[in-house]
Amino acid sequence: MKRRALLFALSLVAMAHAQEDKATPANSSPLAWNSHDKSPRSLALELAAGNEGEGYQVHDGFWSGTLTKAEPILLEVHLFAGNDYRFSAANVDALSQLRLSIFDAWGYPAGQEYSGDFSCSTAGISVIRSGRYFIRLVMTEGDKADTCMVYSYK
Amino acid sequence: MLSKNLRTAALLLIAAPLGLHATAERLTSEQMRDASFLDTVSIPTPGEFFLAVDKQCQPNWSKLLRPSAPASTSDRERIALQLGMLAADGFMAIEAQDGQSVKNTARDTLLLAKKLNVSQQIVARSQSISDFADAGNWSRLREELDAMQNDIRLCLLEQKDSALVVLAMAGSWVRQLDMASNLLAANDSSVSTALLVQPEIASRILSRVENLPENSKNRPIVKQLSEGLQTTSALMSQSNSSLSASAVQSIASTMSAITAAAAEVDSKK
Repeated sequence: MKRRALLFALSLVAMAHAQEDKATPANSSPLAWNSHDKSPRSLALELAAGNEGEGYQVHDGFWSGTLTKAEPILLEVHLFAGNDYRFSAANVDALSQLRLSIFDAWGYPAGQEYSGDFSCSTAGISVIRSGRYFIRLVMTEGDKADTCMVYSYK
Repeated sequence: MLSKNLRTAALLLIAAPLGLHATAERLTSEQMRDASFLDTVSIPTPGEFFLAVDKQCQPNWSKLLRPSAPASTSDRERIALQLGMLAADGFMAIEAQDGQSVKNTARDTLLLAKKLNVSQQIVARSQSISDFADAGNWSRLREELDAMQNDIRLCLLEQKDSALVVLAMAGSWVRQLDMASNLLAANDSSVSTALLVQPEIASRILSRVENLPENSKNRPIVKQLSEGLQTTSALMSQSNSSLSASAVQSIASTMSAITAAAAEVDSKK
């Protein structure tokens, strides 16, 4: 059992190193994250970089601000049918918990949440109907923290 | 403690196969009405739009490219509109996988940015675009073009030219609709008109243009833009999820007229 756990951990480390190698090319991308920079944006970009292997393109625009437990953030976005989107949020408070959710134009939950942990959260959607959607960012644990959200598409 | 990399990998490995569905409650109409609209996040990039168009009908992008030649003008409002339109042209050139056109777009962007005193900040970006275009690295080119737009926006904001930021944003959106509506008007029935229906974005951009300072609003090109946005916004607001052929035709002619007016030389003003 211990050996399997060790192998699993090693595979995760290998993946993490592969990501780091990818993030420091000779001619670095404008959206390359810096593993030494622990700003919320850098952390959100680091999270989004995990989607690049699946062909996602990170958009340069982002939301950032202080998220408090009492005041969730609701952002309006316009998504196009045929495209896949991933929204990634992170903050610098390791003890906090974030939850990112997607809602359609009628306010119903849409897409999938890859959440439920830590101070980072991801949600994704394969859009069938073009139009207005809403992204909700909630701090479920912790009081307040500087937070950033970026998105990727393919 | 797990590094962020490890946590990212673990998050995707563990959560993705589970396909955790959102269990959040439904948003109320008040919550949706009060949702934040952030230009840099809420308005899609040309890259997203053209990607969606490409998935629907795979147009001949090369034929849709305009001859590259920025108009000779000292009208800062028109220059800003052109900058936005050039950004959309750049994304189209990427879809066409035409490296030379991407490089031409970057060169023209630099020329126009110089007239607005924001070229210094994008010189390096322009060189990167040229390098990536030579290498055919389309993915990186999208990121660089996206970042170049953002750099220009930030520089204009720094020098308190927020009116020009609005016009550059409007120019990009006008050029996107110009291309897609003309594709539809040419009877390409494989493209869904739903892609064109963006009433919230139309009304937001219209509102930004209507709130420009008087000296900007009184420019002929801005007046034409404002009227065109009113027409387009009304057509989109009347629609549920698709547009009639006459509405598409109207948007196509409106957007083409603005695009052409932005490219006119000063003597024709």
